[in-house]
Parts: sequence; structure tokens; C-alpha cells
Amino acid sequence: MTTQESLISHDHAGPPTLSAGDHAPLPADAPPGAIFVARGLRYSYLDRFAALDGVDLDVMPGEMVALLGANGSGKSTLLKVLDGLVFPSEGTLHAFGHLVTEGNLEDEQYVEAFRSRVGFVFQNSDTQVFSPTVREEVAFGCLQLGLSAEETRQRVDDVLGMLGIADLADRAPFQLSGGQKKKVAIASVLVMNPEVLLFDEPTAALDPRSQQWLAELIVELNAAGKTIVYATHDLDVLEQIATRCVVFSEDHRILASGPPGAILDDTALLLSANLIHEHSHVHLREGQRVEHSHAHQRGGHHH
Amino acid sequence: MHIPDGYLSPSTCAVGYAVAIPTWAIASKRVSKVVKTRNVPMLAVFSALSFLVMMFNVPIPDGTTAHAVGGAVIAICLGPWAAVIAVSVALLFQALLFGDGGVLSYGVNVVNMAIILPFVGYGIYRLIAGRTPLTSGRRVVAAAIGGYVGINAAALAAAVEFGIQPDLFKSADGTPLYSPYHLSQTIPAMAIPHLTIAGLVEAVMSAAIVAYLQRADVSRLVPSHPGIPLTEADRAPRPARTLAPARVALGFVVLMVVLSPLGLLAPGGAFGEDNPNDLNLNKLGLHAVPAGLDKYNGFWSHTLLGGYGFSSGDHADLGYILSALIGIVVVGVAILLIGLVMRAVLGRRDADREREQEPQRLG
Amino acid sequence: MAEHTTTTTPSWLLSSNVGLCPCGCIGKRTKGSFVEKTLTGGSDLLRQVMFSDDLARRSGLLQRLDPRAKLGGMLLLLIGAGLAHHLETLLATYVVVLALAGASRVPLGFFLKRVWLFVPIFTLIVVLPATLSIVTHGDVVVELWSWHGQPQGLTAQGLRSAALVVSRVAVSISLVVLVTVTTPWNRLLAGLRGLGVPRMFILVIGMAYRYIFLLLDSVTDMYEARKARTMARVKHDRTARAFVGASAGALVGKANQLSEEVHQAMVARGYRGEARVLDTLRLRRADLVALAVAVLATALMLTADRMLGR
Repeated sequence: MTTQESLISHDHAGPPTLSAGDHAPLPADAPPGAIFVARGLRYSYLDRFAALDGVDLDVMPGEMVALLGANGSGKSTLLKVLDGLVFPSEGTLHAFGHLVTEGNLEDEQYVEAFRSRVGFVFQNSDTQVFSPTVREEVAFGCLQLGLSAEETRQRVDDVLGMLGIADLADRAPFQLSGGQKKKVAIASVLVMNPEVLLFDEPTAALDPRSQQWLAELIVELNAAGKTIVYATHDLDVLEQIATRCVVFSEDHRILASGPPGAILDDTALLLSANLIHEHSHVHLREGQRVEHSHAHQRGGHHH
Repeated sequence: MHIPDGYLSPSTCAVGYAVAIPTWAIASKRVSKVVKTRNVPMLAVFSALSFLVMMFNVPIPDGTTAHAVGGAVIAICLGPWAAVIAVSVALLFQALLFGDGGVLSYGVNVVNMAIILPFVGYGIYRLIAGRTPLTSGRRVVAAAIGGYVGINAAALAAAVEFGIQPDLFKSADGTPLYSPYHLSQTIPAMAIPHLTIAGLVEAVMSAAIVAYLQRADVSRLVPSHPGIPLTEADRAPRPARTLAPARVALGFVVLMVVLSPLGLLAPGGAFGEDNPNDLNLNKLGLHAVPAGLDKYNGFWSHTLLGGYGFSSGDHADLGYILSALIGIVVVGVAILLIGLVMRAVLGRRDADREREQEPQRLG
Repeated sequence: MAEHTTTTTPSWLLSSNVGLCPCGCIGKRTKGSFVEKTLTGGSDLLRQVMFSDDLARRSGLLQRLDPRAKLGGMLLLLIGAGLAHHLETLLATYVVVLALAGASRVPLGFFLKRVWLFVPIFTLIVVLPATLSIVTHGDVVVELWSWHGQPQGLTAQGLRSAALVVSRVAVSISLVVLVTVTTPWNRLLAGLRGLGVPRMFILVIGMAYRYIFLLLDSVTDMYEARKARTMARVKHDRTARAFVGASAGALVGKANQLSEEVHQAMVARGYRGEARVLDTLRLRRADLVALAVAVLATALMLTADRMLGR
């Protein structure tokens, strides 16, 4: 895979500053330089079904954070809150040191800065790939954020080339396979060159080769300086590529947070989070040793 | 109900566009005002839905098919203006990609299925549902009846558009140039399948969707039902109903326009409107035209469009349509004026009453 | 919910007897209901659209033109066909349309089938009764019966009117089909935008087109699931209609959820209510020439039509 410098490198030439009407000071315990600082987040759908029940989370630059949890534990909702798509009923979220609220995201400058820095790859590629052709799909984000048609075209060509899907440029999304759609969805986010990439269940419904490809891509993006946060309940593939795991309980709180090795050794924790089943002990222990060593290697890079 | 190109004269198609284009303009303005960014994907998905619904052709015994449109229920879920756009887009696909419904006649098809259907359906729904809570069973019934009446109104409009063709457009030797059937043939042909099958499907579908939303996620209905309580418990006191004169006038005009072609169906002349000289005196047992009738007939002969045409007698069809349009506008304006006067009078009386009550409220 | 769930499998699920239908697999095959026909029709339609995309990428005469020129020319010729009063004019136009199809490498068999298969044949059946004197009064040319001493049957006016309507319908559909099969979908959208259709509409049109296929898939899935669970067929059209009623609700639920997610996906990439798009259309000289030819052709058509008499 060829990594195009122009896309991956940190070339935010003076991005617009994030500042708008709603203000709240950063929490006192927030680590300096954190990308996301979330405190006491609560959210429920239709005012009935709880999804987040008091969630605290800090994300530091360069981290690869895996949000682990059973279906419906709230990890997808947390990603949507981090991307400013839904807003918590209680609690605060600071991104890049500034409060994220619905009101702030109505500010032209603020929203432009926020959206160009945070990219979100949805679980269901069908919802993310909505344009008539792949080229228009990938161009969408850049155009919304005010890039010229000339520069957009160049970037689209670069990113399609980088992901090896240049030949799909003029195809319609319904002609694509699941793996190809996922690549288009990722291309449409990478093209905006965000600092932070959020993935919701990135490997779900992908064939093994595509899963491996995606895992490698995530590592590569992280090595290029991108901060990565992703939700998963798949312990087999993705814990290889996390610097930190955050475990959600089924009552929508964070049970534990720590390096992958420590988390994966804690069988009681994984059982209570409904991430493993009693009968899967043996199998997991075998896998763990591998994960352990991986995590340590990576840990060396960043800490 | 999709009218292909070739059945209607280009002038009829032009009238269709003349109605459709301003409606689209208002619709896009109204829709973008309601929910800012959400409307585009919502409209897109709902027009895809409408397209699929129209694809479900229900077989009709006589060998043709009828289909639901979904216009009424989209109007209930998203509001009638959004339904205009959603159904128009679905019709555009059918015209451009599948040759179902023409390109020139697209405007007319839009008027029937994307304007008349949602607005009539929505109007009936509002009328029946009243201010019952969103979860009320009456809303399901209202949706069913709204869908049923809406699609039949659209079918009637299509029948009228077909039926006026042979009378308005024919060559010198009487060859009809476009659709050859008269109103007396087109109205039953359209009405029977739509009163039975297609109307029923539209009704069942509308009711099913409203019932589903009530059960699954009633909050989806809130944006298109401002001020309607969610359940019986949080019902607000009923505000006084106001009838704006402009609305009454418009409603009346629309009603008249819808009803007027019915007159063309009736055989013979209008009773009591003939020229006295055409009276069948023998049949009435008279020997001469009654003196009074003879004297006052023709008392007023200074009409602008005598005999619903130009005084020269040229362009009979054009003259007739022009007469109809001018008539509609004149009657509408008259009702508007009467309404304004009435409101001024009643308004003053209300104001007086309020002033009488004022001290009590303060005390 | 957190405690592990131990499910006891009911014994009937583990037994290998056929639970409900001891008669085994005998019974007559029923032909597909209308829902099934519509669904297979739906996937056929999907394939057809993809095939058309194929045609649109061949190197033919119309494929080389700007979509705005094609749409404009199509509109002019459609109006011309609408205003023509003579069969001869329409037939001549049809010959020209066929020649254009040939020059654009559209297979003739495909083109004729696509145009004639449904609407013109349907039109023919519909206008047949109009050839009779009871509908269209006029000079009876083929006497079939007499009524009150008046000969009744096919009238010259009726026959001419029927031929006129059918050929006009066929010419009109041919024009539309010709333009749409020689233009890729996204170029067609760009053409509509070029002709002044507002951006909001273009965006809705483009997305709706995309989601037709997705929703069609979910209907097919729902139908397949239902079919898999249905063993006996009772009055299949009625159950099919009940299915339409029941699935319409679920489909709306799905549509609602889908639109919400798509909305979030758009917002996540900076959408703020007014979509900006890549504009790539440029009118070249060939397009202007084509448009001029369309204007001349329409003028010629109508002049010839007038010269044939009223």
C-alpha cells in the first residue's frame, strides 16, 4: 500500500480555530493536550432507552482506543456523541479544548473546523455512501468544507489511488461489493484529512482479507499521527491494534480502561461485560498471549 | 394513473407545468424552512419508498393494473409540501428511466399524484383526525380515508384531463388528435379500479404506516403535527378555530374547479337556461313565449365574454377556457372580499366583547 | 440481562419429524403471486438499469454529446411530436429516431423491445374501442352492424385517431428511452442541474435513486422471509395484499431509520443544508451544433406537418 504524504501527514495549515458561543471550562482533572474530554455523559433514545449512563473518557493525541462492549452497550452512541452527531442530555464534551454543543456546531467557523478535524466511518457503509457515483461520494466532504473543485479533484484521485479503488471512480455505489463500499466510505473520510478517525464496528460484515487490510490501514494511519477511536465487540482481530481498551458494561457505563494486555487477562471483567462466554475461556487464553505481545510492542512506540 | 406522452395535447401539458413549477418553488421553500438539514435524506428515502409503492401494481380483473402512490401517508408523516417533492421525484424516475409516464405530461402527472393526492388526502386526514392525540385510533382511520379519497381525487383529475382532449383538440374532419375518449367514458374507466382496488391499497397502506409509527416511534409524527398532543393525558385546551377569508375563498375555488367538469358529463342543456326561442312550446302546452320572459330576456347584453367566448366567435375552445379562468378568479376575489368584510364586522364585535370581559379578568 | 443465559432447547426443535405437515412434500406448485412478480420485476429492473449504463458507455453519436444538449433536443422533439397532426410526420420522425439509435450503437432489438413492450401496446389496446363509431363519430369505413338504420363500425376518424395516438406515444417514448440509455445516470443528473433544476432537488433525486435499490432489497428480504415461513397458500392475492399492508409499516420504519443515519453521515462530513457538488459540464461546439440540428428538425417537422394540411 502506498501512503500518500499529502493525505496522511499533518498538514493543517492554520485550521480555523474552534471557538463559539457556548463556553464551559475544561474539567480540572483533564489531562493537558487531550483531544476529547468527556465527563458524565448521559444519553437515551426516545427519552426511554438509555444508551449512556454517566460516561467519562479522555482521548490523547496518537492513541488507538478500542471501545469494547456487547451489542447495545452504548459504544456506538458514544462515537456519535464524540462526532457531534447526537448531543448528551447531561454531561460535557470538550474537543480540542472547546465545548461541543448543538449551538456551537451551528457556528460556521466552528463546524468547519470541527468537521475537518474529526472523521467518522459508519458501521453501515450503505448509509455513508449516498452519492450517485464513487467520485462524487469521495468529493462530498471536501466540497462541503469549501475546498476548490480543483483541489478536491486532486485529493479524490490521490485517495482513490491510495486505497486501490481508482477504477471504481465512476461506478454507482449499488454496483459495489461490501468490501468495496467500506473502502469508499473510508476514502470519503480520509480525503478530508482529519486528525481523529472514529470507526463504528469497522470489521463487521467484512471478509477476512478485508478485515486484515483494514487492520493494517488503521495501524498505518496511526503511525502517520492520526488518533483512532473505534467501537468493536470482536476481540479476535482488532485488539491487536489498540493502545488502550475501554470496556462498556451492559448498563451503559465504563467498567474498565487500560492497556489491551491487562484488559484481556481479566476474564471476570470480560465475562461481566458479556464480551466472552464461559465456554470460550480456553480459546481466548490462547489468543491472549499473542495479543499481549502485540500490545507491548505498540505500547513502546507511544509511551 | 401515469399519463404517457401523446395522450394529452402540448397545451394541456403546459398547463400542468404551469401549476407544478410554482408549487415546487413553494414546496422547496416551505420544506427547507421546517427542518433544516434533515429534509434531504428524508425526502430522498421517502421518494424511493413512493417509487417502490408505485411499482407494486395490483392486478385488476379487467386486465390493467392500478397502484397506490403513498402520497397521502407521506403528507401525514412529513407534511403535504414534502410529499409534493417526494412523489415528484419518484415520478421523475419513472418518466426518465422506465418510460412510465411521459416527460411532457410529467407536469400533469405531478399535478395529479404529487399535488392533488397529498393535499386532498392530508386535508381529509386533518378534517377527520381533528385534534385527537397522535396515538389515537381515529388517526389510523383518518389516514385510511384520506388515502382513499386522495387517490380517487387524483384519478378523477386524470380522467378529466383525458376526457377534455377529444372535445378541445380535433382536426377539421373530427379526428381526435389526442386521447379519443370523452369524459363520460374516461371517468368510469378511471373511477372503477381506483374506487375499488387502488383506493383500498392506498387506504390499507396509509393506515398500516400510521399505526406502525404510533406503535414504534410516535415522535416521528410530531414535526408534521405541530401543537397536537402526544397522548390523551397531555391534551391542551382547544384554541378557537379561525377561518381566514383567504383560506375560505381558496377552498371554495378549488372545490368549484374540481366539481365543474361534472357538468360536461350531463346530457342535454341546462334546465331553464335556454334561449326562449329554443323552448319546446308544444311540450309545455304554450302557444307563445311568455310575454315577461320575452321582454326581459336579453335585458342585459353587455357581457365581456358572451356565450363563454370572444364576441367574434373565434377560438371557441380558448375562449371557453379563458372564460372559466376569469370566472374562477372573479368568484374567488368576491368571496375573499365578502370574507374580509365579515371578519372586520365580527372582529369588532369580538373586540367589544373582550373589552367587556377585561375588567373581570384583571379583578 | 448481564447474567449468562442458559437456554433449554425445546424437544420438538431437536426431533427430526416434520412438525406441522405430516404429508411430506406433495402439493401443487402455485404460480407466483403479484408480489412475487413485482419483486422479480424489481430486480430485473435493477439489472436493466445496469445494462443501460453499459450502453451509455459505448462510443456512439449520442454518447458523445453533453447531457444538456441531449435533454434540450429531446424536449424540442417531444413538443414537435406533440404538436404534429399527421401520421406521416410522426412516422418520419420515428425513422429518424431509429437512425439515431443505430448511430449511437444501441442494439435495435433491445431498443424496440424496451420501447414497444409495454406502453404503446397497452395504448393500442386502450384506443381500439375508440375506432368504433359509438365512440368516435364520423364516416364509417368498415360497417360492422347497423343501429336504427345507421351503419355502425370503424370510422375513418377513429382509425386515424388511434393510429395517431399510438404512433405519437411510441415516438415520445423512443425519444426518452434513447436519451436515457445513452446517458449515464450521473451525467443525466448533471444535465438536469444544467437545465436549472435546483440543487436541493438534484440531491434528493440522486439519493432517492440510490436508496431505491437498498429498499428494494429489504422488501425482497422481508418477502423471502415471509415466503420461507408460509407453507400453505390461501387465496394468494389476498395474503399478498395483507403482506403489502404489513410490510409497508415496517418499510417506513426502515426508511425512517435509514434517512436518519444518512443525515448523520452527511452532517459528519460537513453538510449544512446546502450541498456543493463537482460541476464538470462544459458545452462544446458539437453540443451546440446538435442543439441547432434539433431546433431545425423540430421546425422542419412542424412545417411539413402544416403543409400536409390541417
